Parts: sequence; structure tokens; C-alpha cells
Amino acid sequence: MKRRSPPKKSSFPYLLAGSSMLMLVGVMVDVRDVLRPAVPPSSLCAEIVQPQSVLPRDKLALLLNVPERDSKDTIRSIISEPYCRLPTIEIRAGVTAEREAYPLAFDPQTWFVVLYEGNEYAGYDFVFNP
Amino acid sequence: MPDMTLCSIRELLFSISTRRAIALCSGMGAIACLMALSGCRSMAELPTRTIAIQQNWQLQPGATVAGLQVQGGLGDVSIDLAGGKVYAPFAGQVQPGTHECLLFSSPEVPAYLLRFCGLSHLASGSVQQGDAIAWGNTLQVAALRKQPDGQWAMVEPSVNILERSLNP
Repeated sequence: MKRRSPPKKSSFPYLLAGSSMLMLVGVMVDVRDVLRPAVPPSSLCAEIVQPQSVLPRDKLALLLNVPERDSKDTIRSIISEPYCRLPTIEIRAGVTAEREAYPLAFDPQTWFVVLYEGNEYAGYDFVFNP
Repeated sequence: MPDMTLCSIRELLFSISTRRAIALCSGMGAIACLMALSGCRSMAELPTRTIAIQQNWQLQPGATVAGLQVQGGLGDVSIDLAGGKVYAPFAGQVQPGTHECLLFSSPEVPAYLLRFCGLSHLASGSVQQGDAIAWGNTLQVAALRKQPDGQWAMVEPSVNILERSLNP
């Protein structure tokens, strides 16, 4: 006497559920990437101030028009908190220099570094692959 | 940094005895030895950078007095290097300046330049912090701060910045 095997259950619902889970994970990873700019960690920084801080193109254009020796407040009215602060240094005798870094929004491997002495803006430069 | 490697080999060749130098050269190969001896400066030589200094003093490096060359002027700190070396205080760039001086700049330290005069050059181009960039007997060093009009003002360098340049 031949025993009839029970009807096979369709694996389609499991496949659908698995692929949906994978898609959900993929979407979540993508959203996290969009929210958090890909700023690589750097040994330049002494202190991370605002991990989300990046410098948009339009703000960069405004910054480049600020002359050296202008006030720190002028720079701060254009850009808010930096991504990080570099260690303070003393280049000029008796004057402590503060340095702050902003990764460019359109090129996070390039950082805009600004140097202040007291409330005076001394100048800027670009650090590539910090 | 092949230029720095050649510089190091060249320095080594000049520092050891002739017999040892010949033995080292034969081990390295004639071409590599000739490249090292021909000088590292030609490997990555950058064009001479001319800067406008705000203080237009009459006696500056390169000027002459009674037919003798001025090595350092007002604003230069003179240091007895006694054959020692000067090192890059930060990662940056070394570029020849006028009158056999070297100009050091670093994007990590915006708005400042260091001018090293009176030395033999070892490096030109990109350097890492602590790389030897020059050597000699008497160092004339000046710190220059960028001005809004594009000129550079001589300022008093801090002890810390000098120490970073003398002790890697």
C-alpha cells in the first residue's frame, strides 16, 4: 500500500518575507548613509564638536570673501559649529591659535581649516585626505 | 617619497668614509648611487616662491653690506645649529624662496609661513612632520603671517614652533 505524501507547502510566503526584510535593511542602511555624511575619522582632530557638520558650497563661497584679520564673529555668522577642533598651537610668541575644521559637503575628503587668534580670523587652508 | 629616500642616501654617503661610500655605492648600483649623489633637490624641485614682506627693511637676507652678503635681517631669529638639521614642524610643503631660503607652509596651520635661511636644502615638495628639510651651521628663521592685502608680516616665532622645527 502506497502512502501518499502530504502536500508540499509553498515556500513563496517565506521567500517574500525574507526578501522584504532584506529590502527593509537595505533601505535603512541607505537612509543612515544619507543622514550621516561620510566623514572619515582623522588624527588631525583633538575634539569632535559636531559630527554632522559639513560646509556647503554656497557657504564656502561666502567664507572666501572674508578678509584676514576680520573678526571670528564674522566667520561664525556664516558657519556654525565645526566638525572638529584641532589641537591649539602657538605659532606667534604669546598668542594661542585655535583651529577648526569643516569637511566640504560636496567632497568630504577635503577639509576647510580655519585659524583664529583670539577673536581674530587669521586665515584658512584646505587639508586633503586628513 | 623617493626624493626623501635619495636625500637620506646622499646624506649617508657624505657622512661616511670614502671606502665605505664606494662599497655602499657598488652595493646600491651605479645608477642609484649617481642619482643620490647628483642631489635630491632636483628630484622634486618646486619653482622659487617670491613673497612680499610687509616690513620693507633695507637689510634682508640677500642684501649686501661692504660686499658681504647679509644672512639674516631684523625679524630673523639666529640659531647656532652646529651642523644639525631642521625638521618639518607639521606635514606640509617645502618650497625654495629667494636668496637660498626655504619656505615652509602647512595647510594644517593656515595663514602662516616659516622662512629658513642660511642652510643647505635637503627636501623640496611635500613633507611629513619630522622630515629633515635642511641642515647647516647657522639658522636664520622667520615666522610670517598673512595679511589681507596678500603681503606677509614678520612676527616673533614662539619657542614651541622653533622647538618643533629643531627636535622632530
